[in-house]
Amino acid sequence: MSLQTCWRCLARGSNQPHPTRWPPQQPWNLYPSLTAAFTTSSSLSALPPKKKSKSPMLETNVKGAKKTFVKKTKKRQKTDSSKRPEVGERRALRKRIVLSNTNALEVEGLKDINAQLMIDESLRGQVLGIPGPVVDQLRAVEAFKVKQGWPLFRRPAMLMRKDTLDMATEIENISLGIRDKTIRRVFVGERGSGKTTMLLQAMTMAFLKGWVVINVPEAQDLILGHTEYGPLPSTNPTLYTQRTYTASLLNAISRANPILQDLQLSQPPPRTELPIPVPPNISLSQLAHLGAQDPEIAWPIFELLYRELTLPDRPPLLLCMDGLAHAMRNTHYISNTYQPIHAHQFTLINWFLSHLSGESPLPNAGLVLAATSESNSPPVPSLTLALAQLEGNAAVQKNPFATYDARVLGVFEQGGVQVRRVGGLCKQEARGLMEYWARSGVVRQRVDEGFVGEKWSLSGGGCVGELERAVVRMRV
Amino acid sequence: MRSQIKVLHAGRTIALRSKVSTVSAHQIPLSFRLQQRRNITTDEKPLPESEQPKGPNQDQLPHVSEEAATAGKITGEGGPELDQSSPVQEVLKRSEKSQEKAPKIMQDEFKASSPKGSRSYSTSTPLRAQAMINSESAEVQNQGHIFGLPELPLPSTSHLKHRYDPVVHQVTNLLMQDGKLSKAQRNMAMILERLRTAAPPSSDPRHPLIPGAPPTNHLPLNPILYLTLAIDSVAPLLRIRSQKGAAGGGVALQIPIPLGLRQRRRTAVMWILDAVAKKRTKGSGRTMFAHKVADELIAIVEGRSAVWDRRGGVHRLGVAARANLAFGNRRR
Repeated sequence: MSLQTCWRCLARGSNQPHPTRWPPQQPWNLYPSLTAAFTTSSSLSALPPKKKSKSPMLETNVKGAKKTFVKKTKKRQKTDSSKRPEVGERRALRKRIVLSNTNALEVEGLKDINAQLMIDESLRGQVLGIPGPVVDQLRAVEAFKVKQGWPLFRRPAMLMRKDTLDMATEIENISLGIRDKTIRRVFVGERGSGKTTMLLQAMTMAFLKGWVVINVPEAQDLILGHTEYGPLPSTNPTLYTQRTYTASLLNAISRANPILQDLQLSQPPPRTELPIPVPPNISLSQLAHLGAQDPEIAWPIFELLYRELTLPDRPPLLLCMDGLAHAMRNTHYISNTYQPIHAHQFTLINWFLSHLSGESPLPNAGLVLAATSESNSPPVPSLTLALAQLEGNAAVQKNPFATYDARVLGVFEQGGVQVRRVGGLCKQEARGLMEYWARSGVVRQRVDEGFVGEKWSLSGGGCVGELERAVVRMRV
Repeated sequence: MRSQIKVLHAGRTIALRSKVSTVSAHQIPLSFRLQQRRNITTDEKPLPESEQPKGPNQDQLPHVSEEAATAGKITGEGGPELDQSSPVQEVLKRSEKSQEKAPKIMQDEFKASSPKGSRSYSTSTPLRAQAMINSESAEVQNQGHIFGLPELPLPSTSHLKHRYDPVVHQVTNLLMQDGKLSKAQRNMAMILERLRTAAPPSSDPRHPLIPGAPPTNHLPLNPILYLTLAIDSVAPLLRIRSQKGAAGGGVALQIPIPLGLRQRRRTAVMWILDAVAKKRTKGSGRTMFAHKVADELIAIVEGRSAVWDRRGGVHRLGVAARANLAFGNRRR
């Protein structure tokens, strides 16, 4: 049995509460003073802020009551308690296309491109604005891409480079009827050289000339397995339709081409072809709209619409496809025998490639344009070989160990496909572009010969994407 | 003094120009531009006094009689005469008779009140480079150069390792994770692009930006200035060091320590990144981190950010512990 110790005077063994022999000690002598006797610190020092009192349970240090093991509650990290984004909101934010920056300066004296101006050779190296209605049309056919530099400027504008003017001349000639052949062309070139923008410029000029534009913005969307598909009856080998995608394509066609409102259906289709009755003399725009509303009949309506557009006295056609390599390989869809379906077995891709190969020419002439991609491109050796041979690159030979796809080679077998390499800008064009950037307030340096030469070299000889990266997006 | 030829340079017609550069580049020959002259004269610019404490023999008390004279002068009683004797010149001034009998050299001194200073030879050496300078030679020097000679001094950004703005450089490195500099640079570019395209911020009078800041609607066109302003405005002036045992009895003493410019910026960026880590991602894709950082920077300029409170807390603590400043000085 242990004896009680008086906590005040350390006396032991007494039953009395306090020893009476000594006077009670002053309490302040029992506590250690705040400053030690021998400390050198000045008494003027400010005391540290008082610690917040802990929870009473931890404070008690009574023997027996002290807990040896206290489970620490994990500190909850403060997170944003705001509302979570809705389903699809994140994707919409990622895919959003912004075409205007209200902070950028309005470029004074920026001319708009029009049908007469676009073939003017003196405009080479100048930047022309895209008129508002055409911007809406381009938006409808999804010609603008997310990673392009549109959000930096007050309004969309485009540079008249040599390739643009060449294409403008061809579009003009076809419109005038001087040239009645279909031009089939594939744009190749290094990353950021402006292949997709060439398609956009072609579409802009086609819209200005009153053509009908059908654009497949990304071939990848057709093969990824993200849209529904189904076999087309009585086809051998089996073709597959993508009705939802076709419906959205019809919607884009009807919205982007107001000229379709003036064109009328020549004759009502037979009932065997279309399951629904189509009123006679409806405009082609309404016809496309019918298909856009009902995916069930989207593909037959698309076929009908295309047949109508190839009748005599219809406007020329511009067909575009970006990311061509995706349309040249097996898709992520599988057949009923669990075999991957080749991209050429899908009706839309098949339809486009039949025009690119020259198998079905456009009766009213027009342009069939495709662009490859360097940043999002699966390896397709057959396409690489075919394009290199068409370009006249004798260095690329058939690799005896690689397997080549006969269907892909077949597209380019017939010949007549022009492979156009989109190169770098010349210094004059680069200067025009950089002056436009400077007038937009995006570039703060003085644009002179030295600056242009430096950046032109830095961008690998005027590659537009690299030029933009070096001048506008660089952290300078 | 060095002659400066200033040519007013007509700048581009852009509403915003951070500084108007006066180009005196190719007018002056390179050899002269390289020469740095700095004259310190006692009249124009006194020699700088050192801030170090004075030594034991410096700044001593004056002599007893001098002190008494000063005290007498103040009280008006007239203290002891300090001069040992009366100078001859004063005596001569008083009586004209004695002036006549003074030595000739002293008579000349009286007549010539001001020095003539007309020597038959020059005592100043002209600069050789200055003597050579004329307009023809400046034109001749530009021959053979496609883009002319560079302006001197060379801008700091012309050095490979210092090509970016110092703030951008520092923030990029602070954004870097796992040594992936390229990724950090891409994020930095996207932050600047976001600042460029986002709506111009509204200013908050409760949280003013650093003095000299342009109006906030000018900021989006100069995203680097935007970034610099946001960071410098929330950067704390000091940090609190807890010195163990300095308060006596094992109690830590809070000592405010002043921070250098880079340290201040670093602290601010780390606070911003802390605030960003707590934010919820609104969208998806690779731009999200950059957008969150940019949104936090915008929130700082608009005075909405919690980083301001953090800065205020540190400053308040520093003011409370200002009596402990001596400790910081001693230990440093």
